[in-house]
Amino acid sequence: MNTLVDPLSYRKQSDAVRSRFEAMKQRPVVLSVRNLHKTFPTPGGSVTALKDVSFDVYRREFMCVIGPSGCGKSTLIRILAGLEDSSSGQVLLDGNPVSGPGPDRGMVFQSYTLFPWLTVKQNVMFGPRMAGQKGAAVEGEARQWIDLVGLSRFENSYPHQLSGGMKQRVAIARALANRPRILLMDEPFGALDAQTRCQMQSYLLQIWKNLDITILFITHDLDEAAYLSDRILVLKANPGEVDEIIEVPVPRPRTPAQFVSPEFIATKYRIDHLIHPETAAETDSIPFPRMTVAGDDVE
Amino acid sequence: MKSDLIREKRRREPWFAARRDLSPRRASLLGLLSFALPLLIWSAVSYLPFLWHPDMELQISADRENVTTVYVAGDRMSQDFFPEFQESVRVQNKALEAALASFDPAAEVPNGAAVRRANKKILRHLVPVLISNGWLTEEQAKDDGAIYDAWGRIAKGEAEPVRPRLSDENRAIVAKNWTAMSKLSAVYDSDRFISVPLLSLVPQGRPANPDYLPAPHEVVITGIKDFTAPPEAERPSMWQRVGHSIRIVFGGFLLAALVGVPIGVLCGTYPVFSKLIEPFTDFFRYMPAPTFSTLLVAIFLANDAPKVALVFVGTIFQLILVVSNTTRRLEMPLLEAAQTLGAKQRQLLTHVVIPGILPNLYNDLRILLGWAWTWLVIAELVGVKSGLTEFIETQGRWRNFDSVYPVIILIGLVGFFTDQILSAFSRIFFPWTTEAGGKPNPIVRAILFIPRWFRDAAAERIPYRPETRTRQTGEA
Repeated sequence: MNTLVDPLSYRKQSDAVRSRFEAMKQRPVVLSVRNLHKTFPTPGGSVTALKDVSFDVYRREFMCVIGPSGCGKSTLIRILAGLEDSSSGQVLLDGNPVSGPGPDRGMVFQSYTLFPWLTVKQNVMFGPRMAGQKGAAVEGEARQWIDLVGLSRFENSYPHQLSGGMKQRVAIARALANRPRILLMDEPFGALDAQTRCQMQSYLLQIWKNLDITILFITHDLDEAAYLSDRILVLKANPGEVDEIIEVPVPRPRTPAQFVSPEFIATKYRIDHLIHPETAAETDSIPFPRMTVAGDDVE
Repeated sequence: MKSDLIREKRRREPWFAARRDLSPRRASLLGLLSFALPLLIWSAVSYLPFLWHPDMELQISADRENVTTVYVAGDRMSQDFFPEFQESVRVQNKALEAALASFDPAAEVPNGAAVRRANKKILRHLVPVLISNGWLTEEQAKDDGAIYDAWGRIAKGEAEPVRPRLSDENRAIVAKNWTAMSKLSAVYDSDRFISVPLLSLVPQGRPANPDYLPAPHEVVITGIKDFTAPPEAERPSMWQRVGHSIRIVFGGFLLAALVGVPIGVLCGTYPVFSKLIEPFTDFFRYMPAPTFSTLLVAIFLANDAPKVALVFVGTIFQLILVVSNTTRRLEMPLLEAAQTLGAKQRQLLTHVVIPGILPNLYNDLRILLGWAWTWLVIAELVGVKSGLTEFIETQGRWRNFDSVYPVIILIGLVGFFTDQILSAFSRIFFPWTTEAGGKPNPIVRAILFIPRWFRDAAAERIPYRPETRTRQTGEA
């Protein structure tokens, strides 16, 4: 990483950015996590996955959760979605404790979880149908959500006919069709190739800008975290603890051009420092075996 | 053209490349060979006399004194024993030769009636040869006059059997016997028939395979004969037997599916059912279904009920386990996604689990239908024998294996084509599966052609239009 960057410059916020964060913290808290603990029993004794995790997510905030592998970020989001129980602590949605999964917390998984036997439109209508809604109104609304993710041409296609990126767009539309209070995304673009991922990030920012939606996004990609979020929750591993909540000083609207801005690089540097504290140049000490025969002028 | 001059040397696709798909032409060719090769091997073993052929099929047989085993033409014996059999007849003839040569028609022979009866039998030993040469019809097999006449013609050299030819040794015997017989009468007369023992014909035969391996053409001919023959009174025709067998298999299978699929789906979905039902099911499936046959007869009495029940018992326990396994294989994230979309427990079952497993369930049932077929023969032996199995049993006991094979092959064909048809329908029922996108195998394509043709015809679209093609080539 670039050592010319001032390690603490990520804290320098422009006035515009600072006032944006102040305004955000005035907004109501949508999701509040209080002293969350999670231990798993294993044959060799119990393992603590999450230890005393507390944080708030404000309305219309885009928060990323990042951390080294095994820090319990997936466990965290599964507890928030209600797919797993916590050992102790509380999860409050709009001030009400949640238990079990529900349509108020939409979830997008890393694996494509579209129902293969339903067309794109039927997938998007799944949530409303579970809630007992029927008729042309539901269908019309589903079309709007499909429009939003730009897949109107494919509304009658089956998932196996779509590319990975398209599938995740349908998954987002399907989650949004329930009008959730918060959208939980568990490394949703992790399985996509780099170009598609870039595209999907821009799509997601676009959707987030146009909707009143709060997003909690799990990733292991520093660029993705710095590019998308207002704030980044960095988790420590063994046990999973909140290390720091970084307020990203990069102004909005975000564009890929900002990838080389000093604020962006400083943020990335900070995250990298937190996640990999000792990035020793170990690879430099590996001996250099010769494999090429032709030419001998290789440096 | 330039492209011709510098034509690239195309690398030939290798036949052996691990997990690499073969070209469609090669795949079809191999598919054809997979059926042609066994047929070819069968034909080679049947028609090439130097391959195997461990037995002799008798064309002319003979009785031996003091031996109770009776061989008739058409019987088979091992090639090792055959010379011994011939030799014993020759030894027997040697003892009689002198008496026969000095036969005096005027002399009275003691015990004449018994010898005459034995002599008449000897005359008839030539009948299979006469019939296969077309000199006698099957009905004339006991017409002693015609047989006697034939002996005379052969002895006088007026006629010569060619299918099969008589050995020199046997021609000599015919001549010697005739010389003696004709001293009494030139035509057959039961009152003026020789009462000195005649010489027996020395057995003749040709190398043959054992009767349990009939040649392909024999199987085909007998098969056609069996399946087209009008049924004997009060006996079912072959096609009725086929129908009966199919009813038993499908009856048992459908009942098992009707009961087993819901149980299997519940077991795969809710651990409560799984832990309650599967251990016992797992235990029960190791008890062979046929061991229950007498019990089933006691419960369901005669007729078809115990047979259907046997197929049911033999299938259902496997079915429950297979279906519950398939249900468990449904990806967990789909259930989780549905829950985050607001699906309740019951909706999970009806809206996620059941539609999600349908294609796999369908495939499972296809495989289990094959399983049900394997119970057919045992099921039909339960209680009163019935259907195709009864036919196989009867014919097998008479060693008419050429009648047995067509039935076995037919059962195979019915099972095979049922499976292919069901596999073809799978693409129509489940258009969302990835397999539905791939190219079906030739048999499936042939089956799918029919509904597609109707669909195209209905849309007034003719799939092949020659004029379009001509125009295209013209432009090129």
